[in-house]
Amino acid sequence: MPGVLERNNVKVRGAGEQSMMFAHGYGCDQNMWRFVAPAFEPDFNTVLFDHVGAGGSDLSAYNKRKYSNLSACADDVVEIGRGLELHDAVFVGHSVSAMVGVLALQKGPGMFGKLILVGASARYIDDEGYVGGFSAKQIEELLEFLEANHMGWSAQMAPLIMGNPDRPELAEELTNSFCRTDPDIAKAFARVTFTSDNRKDLAGVTVPTLILQCSEDIIASEAVG
Amino acid sequence: MLGRPLLELLTVPGRIYYETHLAPLLRMHGFFSEVALDLLEGDGEPLHTIANGKETRDSEGRPTSIRIAFVKSIDRRRYEQELLRSREMARAAAEATEEKLQREHQMAELREQFIAVLGHDLRNPLAALSAGARILDRTVQSEKERQIVAMMQTTVMRMAGLIDDVLDLARGRLGGGIAVEHKAGKPLEAVLTQVVVELRLASPGREIVVDLHVDRPVDCDSSRIGQMLSNLLGNALTHGSASKPVMVRAETRDEALELSVSNAGERIPPEAMDKLFEPFFRGKARASRQGLGLGLYIASQIAKAHGGELVATSTPEETRFTFTMPVQAESRDQTDGPVDST
Repeated sequence: MPGVLERNNVKVRGAGEQSMMFAHGYGCDQNMWRFVAPAFEPDFNTVLFDHVGAGGSDLSAYNKRKYSNLSACADDVVEIGRGLELHDAVFVGHSVSAMVGVLALQKGPGMFGKLILVGASARYIDDEGYVGGFSAKQIEELLEFLEANHMGWSAQMAPLIMGNPDRPELAEELTNSFCRTDPDIAKAFARVTFTSDNRKDLAGVTVPTLILQCSEDIIASEAVG
Repeated sequence: MLGRPLLELLTVPGRIYYETHLAPLLRMHGFFSEVALDLLEGDGEPLHTIANGKETRDSEGRPTSIRIAFVKSIDRRRYEQELLRSREMARAAAEATEEKLQREHQMAELREQFIAVLGHDLRNPLAALSAGARILDRTVQSEKERQIVAMMQTTVMRMAGLIDDVLDLARGRLGGGIAVEHKAGKPLEAVLTQVVVELRLASPGREIVVDLHVDRPVDCDSSRIGQMLSNLLGNALTHGSASKPVMVRAETRDEALELSVSNAGERIPPEAMDKLFEPFFRGKARASRQGLGLGLYIASQIAKAHGGELVATSTPEETRFTFTMPVQAESRDQTDGPVDST
């Protein structure tokens, strides 16, 4: 079994005393941070990784049952943190990874000293007295809709990541790594993401936390922030 | 429609998909192609489309505009959904079949273990019977008693043979393969001759023509090869024409041993040829002559375990079983180890 760092395609860069871990959200992989993370490299030790099932992670490590909830993703984060001996690090989590960070905080005491949650939502589906932003039916429709775009995956790659004919070298890189997701895993992860409910876990957040919200974020509205 | 933000034109799933997949792609990649997207129609129903998008950038690489072309694709989506459904159904069917197969496999294994245990446990009482008959044989007085004891001994031997066959089957099937020991035991030709002598005794009145030229040592388990000949010859005597001789030939030639048994008589129906070497396959014969149908199966397993092969040919004139194997173990492709028959 490959190590955790290979399993999650962990990339460590930068030069700093303190570490900053970037966790990508649903729909992509660590490439999501390619315009963000470099800005922190002069001052921080940056840690990027792919969730198992996404990007350059070890797909063979993916197990539908194991990853049927965000807790498993948080376990992975803690394993990575232990592998790198992180202490008092900053955790930056986008979208679903915001809650992964909240869970990881509990699972690995001392590992993270600050949370930065971007476009976070503790629950996407509306509940009694709670606005998540979506009805249960809409989320079901989304899961169904995802299949429509997986038709093109028969050749193990989505048409949307097909190469740029003018720049084959770019195409090569992108098809190999950019937002590569196995369709079955993508669908399963979408279900995990959009049916998650971590509202009660928020009480466990005892470290300084910065919540960043986008003004027109259709997935995590301002209200849920 | 003019002047409204793009996201407002999309269905909710479309919006989420755009935000989580397409927007990052545009930013990183500059374009996306042939993506299914659903637009909202006036009545709130989704309108299936295929979309291509491109982000234009200025010389600094900053985005200047995003263009997205939507092409209505209702039939295409329907067709894709049908494909998906049939793929899903095929997958479910394959899974069900696989599961069933697994269950069958487990059941079969259990049955074979049962056979092995039963066969093994039958040997002990049979050995007691055999010992009893031997003691009786020494003390019997009348000719009638002697005949009865002789019959008992023959029956015990026949039963022992059947049990050996069943155990060989179980061993072959349980993955261990039929055990062969390559040792310098009795010379092969002598073993083969002994087998012919025994079967001649058992089938008085039948002519067996023997032609043996094993003029060099063969690296084999000679008692197993003898068992094979016994099975093949017994088979030929049972199924072959009673008025014509059965031929047994063995010779070493070009680094190979060839052993064949042939008989005249009815040809084996072509449809039965494929099944000859399967366990429990039985041809037409008088019930009293019927065995378990393991003889040819065991013979073929012995052939395999020697890195050789056993083939059958059958014409209206002659039915022939031919076994060939390399004379030296080194020249074999397969190792000497047990051969998995499954």
